[in-house]
Amino acid sequence: MIRQISVFVENQPGSMMNVTSVLTEAGVNIRAISTFDTPEFGIMRLVVDDPVCAKSSLTEKGFVTRVSDVTGVELKDEQGNLNQMLKILADGKINIDYIYSFVIREGKAPVMVFHTDDFEQAEKVLEAAGVKIMEEEEL
Amino acid sequence: MAGVALENWVERIRDPKIECMSRDEMADLQNRRLTEVVKKVYENVDFYRKKMQQRGVEPGDIKSIEDIEKLPFTTKEDLKNNYPFGLLAIPMKDVVRVQGTSGTTGKLTIAPYSQKDVEVWGECVARGLAMAGLTDEDIIHVCYGYGLFTGGLGLDYGAKALGATAIPMSAGNTKRQMMVMEDLGATAFACTPSYALYLAESIQEAGLVDHMKLKAGIHGAEPWTEEMRKKIESILHINCFDIYGLCEITGPGVAQDCIHKAGLHVHADYFYPEVLNPSTHEKCEDGETGELVFTTLAKEAMPLIRYRTKDLTSIDHSPCECGRTLPRISKFTGRTDDMKVIRGVNVFPTQVETALLSMGGVIAPHYMMIVDREDNMDVLTVMVEVDERVFSDEIRKLDALRSRIAATLRQALGVSVRVKLVEPKSIQRSEGKAVRVVDNRNL
Repeated sequence: MIRQISVFVENQPGSMMNVTSVLTEAGVNIRAISTFDTPEFGIMRLVVDDPVCAKSSLTEKGFVTRVSDVTGVELKDEQGNLNQMLKILADGKINIDYIYSFVIREGKAPVMVFHTDDFEQAEKVLEAAGVKIMEEEEL
Repeated sequence: MAGVALENWVERIRDPKIECMSRDEMADLQNRRLTEVVKKVYENVDFYRKKMQQRGVEPGDIKSIEDIEKLPFTTKEDLKNNYPFGLLAIPMKDVVRVQGTSGTTGKLTIAPYSQKDVEVWGECVARGLAMAGLTDEDIIHVCYGYGLFTGGLGLDYGAKALGATAIPMSAGNTKRQMMVMEDLGATAFACTPSYALYLAESIQEAGLVDHMKLKAGIHGAEPWTEEMRKKIESILHINCFDIYGLCEITGPGVAQDCIHKAGLHVHADYFYPEVLNPSTHEKCEDGETGELVFTTLAKEAMPLIRYRTKDLTSIDHSPCECGRTLPRISKFTGRTDDMKVIRGVNVFPTQVETALLSMGGVIAPHYMMIVDREDNMDVLTVMVEVDERVFSDEIRKLDALRSRIAATLRQALGVSVRVKLVEPKSIQRSEGKAVRVVDNRNL
């Protein structure tokens, strides 16, 4: 299980950059990022190497954040592997709220990040199928 | 640090002879003073003489306070037309100071004072400070602006009359405000309610609530709601009092509420209040809402006769539990001129605030109303700040929140509202009068 930080941003020029510049200043490394938008506001979701530091520096700068648990799964960079992981979850009747992927990591396998209401069951079925689940210290 | 609960409250009345006077005695005093002031303006101010002559009224026709209805009104427009010193009733050399406020057309609305006017002003504010439980032992941190604006100096004169210690901080620089408040051990502070809330939140965020010795807050110069008062009181553990005044009449200290929070006691020995139906100008019954109209009964420099304040309120002449017999005006429901008519519906910013606060602390009461006209249709957008308590990682939950706020506002205002969620602290906190409404319609 890894932790994800969500940040409320207004949908206007520079608002995402405001978040990344706070993280840059705090020396936090972004591992994965995805955004959701509506015409007026959006949510930035981030996996970083130091979630505690990231949250405190963002809060200090007046951002509204929320830390939640997500699952990170390491995949081999081969055709059909994402499909296979999703099949495992589907067979286990796990509903995925959203999914996004890590930025390319030199020499390392790709990682998919997803959110579900049923983490325990998700991790159980993935482990049973021999899929590697990321832990925070590996970020 | 804690505010005093009602059961342990010791009521302090600065001038019981006046403040607890019987209605007959007060009427006698008012009769005398009104007769004098009318005679004075008739003799010394062309504007009043002409206006009274137009109405066929002479000073001799004004024998008692009831006769006030015979006198013509004075409006802000009249002040503008006689800017700057056209309404002066004393020689300029006897004017010891001038205060002012922004007028509607860029020019100032000014208020000149004689030495005695300044003393009366301080006395009235001091009555209010006593009403708030303060004595000559208190340290009053004044973070109203000092300058032409009457807030800073008004509270300063009040503290001086009371013999309390005034800390003339003026507005701005919240960190420094907190430091001085803590270091000098302020027991009360005075500023606009919106800044009071901002300051309270800042004190709370800095973990300094327990370091403060505050017991009372004196707030006015803009309308605020009971909910806002409770919020400031509960964050700082103090009692907050609503002070009212307007520069033209004297500045803060025209009226203030007591611990019973049952309306603002008007110092009716100096400022005679009438509440009138804004269109028919007929006198409202006690409890009925209308426009507040003041006559200054003892002002020397620029007495105002039946000055229309555009503030909407109601009046209650019954004696208060605190022992005062001074008439009470209700907390303001708004001004006749900050009311917005949106698709034919009257909307007051205070309604938005009350509605947001009624959502049980879900939403911080920092908001901004923006009125636009799109395709000949009025559109009201209310910007609301999202904070930690309501932020969800999921768009659908935020959208649900937005719909809930929109529904609450629609119900409260009777007009549909677009709600825009914005980042925390992105709505400007005011250190003076909060701007709550932007009207882009060019009406």
